[in-house]
Amino acid sequence: MALSEELVAPWAEWQESYQDGQRLLEAGTYALTEGAVAAGLGVFAGYPITPATDIAEYMSKRLPQIDGYYLQAEDELAGMHMCAGASLGGQKAMTATSGPGYTLMHDAYGWAIVNEIPVVVVDAMRVGPVSGITGAPGQGEFYVSRYCSHGGNIETIVLSPNSVQETFWLTIDAFNLAERFRTVVTILTDQVVADMFEDLFLPGDYGALSDIVVPRRHNLTMPFFPADSSEIDLPPNVIGEGTGVCVSPYTHTEEGYDIEEMEAQWSQTFRLINKIRHHKDEILRYEAVGLDDAEVIAVAYGATARTVKTAVLEARRQGVKAGFLRLISLWPFPDELFERDQPYLVCELNYDGQLVREVMRAAPDKNRVHFMGKSGEMHTVAEVCEALEGVAKHQKMPQQPYIWTEVR
Amino acid sequence: MNKLAAKYLRPELVPTKACQGCAIGAIENWLLQAIDEMELKQEDVIFGAGIGCVGRQTFATWGGDNFGATHGRALAVATGLKVARPDKKILLVVGDGDAASIGASHLIHAARRNVGVTVICEDNMGYESTGGQFSPTTPAGYVTNSSPYGMAEQSFDPCDVVIAAGATFVAETTAVQWRQTVKVVKLAMQNDGFSFVHIRFPCVQNFGASALGSRDPLVSMEWIYDHTKGKTDDGAETDFAWETGIKHDASNSRPEYSKVLRDLNARVRADMAAGS
Repeated sequence: MALSEELVAPWAEWQESYQDGQRLLEAGTYALTEGAVAAGLGVFAGYPITPATDIAEYMSKRLPQIDGYYLQAEDELAGMHMCAGASLGGQKAMTATSGPGYTLMHDAYGWAIVNEIPVVVVDAMRVGPVSGITGAPGQGEFYVSRYCSHGGNIETIVLSPNSVQETFWLTIDAFNLAERFRTVVTILTDQVVADMFEDLFLPGDYGALSDIVVPRRHNLTMPFFPADSSEIDLPPNVIGEGTGVCVSPYTHTEEGYDIEEMEAQWSQTFRLINKIRHHKDEILRYEAVGLDDAEVIAVAYGATARTVKTAVLEARRQGVKAGFLRLISLWPFPDELFERDQPYLVCELNYDGQLVREVMRAAPDKNRVHFMGKSGEMHTVAEVCEALEGVAKHQKMPQQPYIWTEVR
Repeated sequence: MNKLAAKYLRPELVPTKACQGCAIGAIENWLLQAIDEMELKQEDVIFGAGIGCVGRQTFATWGGDNFGATHGRALAVATGLKVARPDKKILLVVGDGDAASIGASHLIHAARRNVGVTVICEDNMGYESTGGQFSPTTPAGYVTNSSPYGMAEQSFDPCDVVIAAGATFVAETTAVQWRQTVKVVKLAMQNDGFSFVHIRFPCVQNFGASALGSRDPLVSMEWIYDHTKGKTDDGAETDFAWETGIKHDASNSRPEYSKVLRDLNARVRADMAAGS
C-alpha cells in the first residue's frame, strides 16, 4: 500500500498551474523577496539583522526596478510603523527581521492589528534568548508570534515554510491572507530555511499570477471598522482618499473615533478575534504523511520538519509505523489536526517546549505527547528515528545527549 | 462654533475636550487659520496625532483623514504614508513626550531624511495626561509630580536637535504668540520637506499647580508671556527666556524624501530600459 501523502495549501494547485519560468539555485531570502514582488509588494521597510539581512539587500536592489520603495528604518519598531503607514496609503508592505527585532515590533503589531492594516512580517528565527548565536537556527518565537501585542483580545495568522520553493509560494499566500483578513500575517521562518540555497522555480511572468494574487482594494465607505462582524474579504481602509477614516491606538467606533465604553470594546474584540476564528478553514495549511496507519506521529514545522520527515520515512523502512505532520499554518492553532488518539512526538528547536504545549492541549491524551527539543542545531535523522522507535515500541522517549524531553 | 472649526473640523468633536485654560484648542485653531490662509482643503491634508494630552485632544477632530499613532511613532507612520501618498500634506500634532523623548529617534531620522511632514510639537512641558511628570523639555529645577525636589536633569530644546539632524524649516513660538504661530506654520507647510514648529505652553493643571503654585489659567498665561519676553511686568529678568521665531529656514533647499526615492526609481528604471 502506498504511503498516504497530503499537502493542504493553496500552492499545491499553484505549482501545477504555473510551469513556465526559470529554475534557479537560490536562497530562502531570495525566494521570499521574489514572492513578495510577485504578490505586488510596494514598500519594504526594515532594519538589517542576521539572518534576515539578505532580504533587505535583495529588496533594496529589486524594489526600485519595479517602482517600489525600500526604506531602511532607524530600528525595527520604526520599520513596522513605516509599513503600516505605507499600507494605509494603499501600498502592500512588508518588513523582515529576526528575534531581537521582532520583539521591538510589538508596538506596531498591535496598532496594525487593531486598525486592520494588512502587513506581512517575516521573522527568520535564530537561537536565543536575545542576540543568542546569530548564525544558528531557533524556533523560539512560536508563542511570541501568537502574542505579538499586549492587552490580549486578538487572534493572529502565522505561517511557516520549510523549503526555498515553498517560501516563494507561501509569501504570496501570506500577502493574500493579509489582504483578505485585513491584518498582519507573520511568516515565521528560520536561519536554515532563510539562508540555505535550493532549487527554486520562479514563474516567468508575475503578471500571469493575477489569478492567484489578491489585489489591494480601497474601502471608501463606512463602516470602516465593522462592529460585531466576522466578515472577511472587506477592502482595507485607506488614508489619502478623503473618506474621513480615523485610525488610532484606542478602542474605536465604526468610524474610528476613540471611545471608552465597554460595548465598543467588546464589539471591537468580537471582530478582531472572530474574523479569524470563524474562518479558520481558510487559513489551515499543513503537510501529512502516513497518518492512516501511524502508531506514532512526529510533529514539526520549518527547518526542523526537513530532517524529521526524512526520519519518519527511515523509521518506516526500519519497521516503525511512523506518521509525519508538518504544520504550515501555526496560528490560529490547528487543533483539528490532533484528533487522532495516538502518541505524538513534537520536535522543535528550543529547550523550553512551545509547540509541544499546544499539541498537549489539543491532543486527546497529553500524557502521550512527547517532547524532543534541541537548541541551536538541527535534529538528526538518527536521533528522531531512535525517538520514534522508543515511543512506538516502549511508550517512552529514549535518553539522548543534548535533547530535552521535559516540558513540566 | 467658529467659522474655521465649521469649515475644517468635525462638529461632534468641537469644542475641544482639553481642560479649561489649556492652549491645545487655541493652537489647533491657529493651525486651521494657517491652513485656511494657504487655501488648503480638507482633502489636501492628512492629520496625524501622537499620544498624551496633545494627541488625545486633537485626534479625529480634523474633518478629513486622520491617524493617531502609538506613543512617539507618528513620524514613523508618516514616513511610510508620505512615500505612499506624496501628493498629500501631512500635518502631525504631537507633544513633547512624542517628539523629544519616546519618539526622539524618529524625529531625528525624519529630519535627516527630509520627510515631507510638518511637525507641530505642542510642548506642555511634561507628561500631563499621566498627571504631571517631568519630560526632557521641563526646565531644570522645576517641581513636577516626579521631580518633587526640582527636575534634576538638564533639559534640551528639540529645535536644536532637528536643526543638527537636517530639518529644512524650524521655528519656535509660545502659546501667547497667535500671529507669529500662524505665520510660521504657513511657512512650515510651504516647505516641501521636514518642518518642525515648537510651541510652548505649560499645562495649567499640573505644571501650574506643581511649579507655579496655581491652576489659574491667567497665572500660566502670564508666566508664558514673561518667559517669552524674558522680563516680568515690573522689568525684572525671568529665570530664563525662550528664544522664539524662525530658527532655521532652508525651505525647499534639498529634495523631499519620497521625491529622492522616486528619482532613484526613475534613474534605475531608465538604466534598465537602456539595457545597462
